Amino acid sequence: MNERISITIEMAQSWGYASGAAMERFSAGLRERRIEALKCSGCGRRYLPPRPFCGNCHLELDDWVAVADEGSLEAWTVVNLPMLDGRTGEMREAPYGMGLIRLDGADTTLNHYLDVADPEHLAIGLRVQAVWRDELRGAMDDILHFRVLTEGP
Amino acid sequence: MTEVAVIGSGQTDHGRKRDDVSQPELVRQAVALALADAAIEPERLDAVVISNMELFEGRALPELWLGEGAYAARKPCLKVATGGTSGTSSCIAGYHQVASGLFDVVLVVGFEKHSEGHTQTGMALTDPFWDRAVAAGALGNFALSISQYMAERGVTQEQAARVAVKARRNAARNPHAHLQMPDITVEEVLASKLLAHPVHLLDMCPQSDGAAAIVLAGGQTARRLCPRPAWIKAAETRHEQPFIGDIDRRLASMRTLREAARSTYAKAGIADPLRDLDVAEIYEPVSYAELAWYEALGFCADGEAGRLIDEGVTEMDGTLPVNPSGGVLSANPVGASGVIRVAEAAKQVLGRAGEHQVAGVETALATGYGVYAWADALVLGATP
Amino acid sequence: MNQSSPFEVVVAGLGQTGPSPADGRSIAEMVLPAVQAALADADLGYDDIDAVVTASVDLFDGLTASNIAITEVVGAVMKPETRIAGDGLAAALHAACQIRAGAYEVVLVVAHAKPSMADFQDLSQWALDPIFLQPLGLDFLACAGLQASARAAADPEAPERWAETAARRLNAADGQKKPATAADVLDSPLVAAPLRAGMCAPLADGAVAVLLRAGGPGPRLAGLGHDLDVHLPGDRDPAAWPGLTRALARALKSAGLAASDRAFDLAEPSCLYAHEEELFIGATGLEPKTEISPGGGLFGGAVPVAAGLARLLAAAQRLRADPACRRALVQGSWGPAGQGQVVAIIKAGP
Repeated sequence: MNERISITIEMAQSWGYASGAAMERFSAGLRERRIEALKCSGCGRRYLPPRPFCGNCHLELDDWVAVADEGSLEAWTVVNLPMLDGRTGEMREAPYGMGLIRLDGADTTLNHYLDVADPEHLAIGLRVQAVWRDELRGAMDDILHFRVLTEGP
Repeated sequence: MTEVAVIGSGQTDHGRKRDDVSQPELVRQAVALALADAAIEPERLDAVVISNMELFEGRALPELWLGEGAYAARKPCLKVATGGTSGTSSCIAGYHQVASGLFDVVLVVGFEKHSEGHTQTGMALTDPFWDRAVAAGALGNFALSISQYMAERGVTQEQAARVAVKARRNAARNPHAHLQMPDITVEEVLASKLLAHPVHLLDMCPQSDGAAAIVLAGGQTARRLCPRPAWIKAAETRHEQPFIGDIDRRLASMRTLREAARSTYAKAGIADPLRDLDVAEIYEPVSYAELAWYEALGFCADGEAGRLIDEGVTEMDGTLPVNPSGGVLSANPVGASGVIRVAEAAKQVLGRAGEHQVAGVETALATGYGVYAWADALVLGATP
Repeated sequence: MNQSSPFEVVVAGLGQTGPSPADGRSIAEMVLPAVQAALADADLGYDDIDAVVTASVDLFDGLTASNIAITEVVGAVMKPETRIAGDGLAAALHAACQIRAGAYEVVLVVAHAKPSMADFQDLSQWALDPIFLQPLGLDFLACAGLQASARAAADPEAPERWAETAARRLNAADGQKKPATAADVLDSPLVAAPLRAGMCAPLADGAVAVLLRAGGPGPRLAGLGHDLDVHLPGDRDPAAWPGLTRALARALKSAGLAASDRAFDLAEPSCLYAHEEELFIGATGLEPKTEISPGGGLFGGAVPVAAGLARLLAAAQRLRADPACRRALVQGSWGPAGQGQVVAIIKAGP
């Protein structure tokens, strides 16, 4: 009887990712609970995350605009599977709410967690507001999640 | 441009864990079947294109190790990797290589052995500053888009479940499919575990081990070797901005797929897809996506996708059968899935689709899709 | 082949970022200037690009579908992009096929890597056979060492010649520093015996962008060929590069040139290690009249993945600048001890 042989190799790698000038400024702002987007001089689109270049217009971006830390829920879901958090390497316990949020002052949406994990209480159009951690490190998860406010327009 | 046709294809039996073969052996199985189907010897291959998202298996430059499985040793060989569209993009790459006249016979093989890696880790290695901070994976990504799509186009969970049922019932007549469920019902889909609202387990594609290969040949050779080649009439690719939030109403708008299809149809002379196409193999990672693709591909107007599935238009006996193979919903070895779409579309034209053959196919569509909204579209036909 | 004219595609624009030991910018910021320079050089804009072929490796960038990081800056939004996970010269080969097929007229080719992000040799282990090679801890450097040691065993004076080659290349690449000598190289520490640190091209961060076009002025890609040799070191001839010989034969054939044609004024190989220059000459049968990497080649900074495309850039620049230089041979490689090989023949434009 043939036994199936297999080999297991563990990978432990680390990479040093450079954030780039746009994200550096954005991250510095997060440490002061300030959110900024970059606006394209061509299409007028206000981009989060900020990045060096508008892929639609092929223009470099350098026009910083203020963005509120609240906005409207454009999409939502409640995830029932624990997911691997790529940042920490730990599993995030389920259920947890997630949404695509259009912050006031931005044209792209932001994918983030919601403080509601019940489909009965989530809907497109709700107003949501960022809940910040006490300790700010200049990273996207300085926002713990978004709190669902009253019904939107 | 030299005319190019698919003259043969081969696939492994796709499954959750193919621990009976190594990665090179998995590749070899599909390749051997494709060469036999094309009735050519390995020596006849002028070049090989390999499709694989190797980071899912924790690897780099996999063609180095397993190229010999594809008979690529001592031959020109390149590897293409573009996420979910790897397979269709590789087929288009092979098509361009033959069309250039530089190569006459090119093998394209795609594979994935998810069981030999940690796909979640691979999927978690997204942009480190933005997307990675908020773990969602492909599932969360889809579920978010679906909530918008449902609100905008009015599709229901039942209609999505009907797509899932169609896929697995079709797959029951495809010996290679991973999930074959001849008796599956809408109720079963809706009763299956809710993974991320509103997506149920049975709405989602599986994660499969598998490989698929096609053999492409230039005009004269194709005519000589194959009684009824499946000619590639047109093929287009479109990529997109990188972040999830860059694309408004992703499933509803899907500009990359719409434009790839429009451009491909124009070149292939497809004026009314529902009428001019005889069969379609489209890349649907989740049931709702297939509904969105009906609209994006012009099978119906926006808002009519639900009606199409309700009226059976895309069933095997409908006006335009969609995914007779069972689609990505029934087998998803990521690097192979796009090659499977092209292989299955080609088989329909070649008349080699066996139990899931649609009668009288002259023109077939194959599409690819990736989680970053990259899209491919190819039209294959009985005439060049 | 059923084509009426030789394979010719114009090299219309050139741009490069680096090579530099460590680029502190993000990958998108690092690649953007190279693309802008290539477009400016070709007197074209982003709207003129019909398609893009990129070269990057996910594991090296620590990013799934790593070309996502540069989609916007390479102009691939709502355009066709193909990503070759291999050497940038192979990406150029594929772009040339696309143009030759009549699919597109203007194709941008971009390759990049930032080895400063991680331990490159550590990462390279994941490219080796996971059953027979990887458990031994082999990496690309060790494989190069094995190859060099086989050559030294047959020819004990070879390492001294390699030291001279390395010193020549280092000095040609950066003449401002105190000139390196062969003795300096032989004094440098062993890294994979008999290879010494000074015999290895220094890894560097950077990006290369080349615009290819169906017609117009400029040097021409006249011939292309590539090859993938067998993988296991025990299956390969340690002292030769038959893959390169096959790739060159294919390139000559595609150019409509005789198999024995070696009339090259210039060669720009991708020699990552000094011993590879002899391998290159042996495998290609180049004659002494061919100048090899007068600018030092990769010893000025070797960007993985982009190296072969950087050599194409260097050769094209020389063909443009020097009317006496009519034809060049360019080589790229990937994998352990040059398992994958790609060759381009470029000739001066009319």
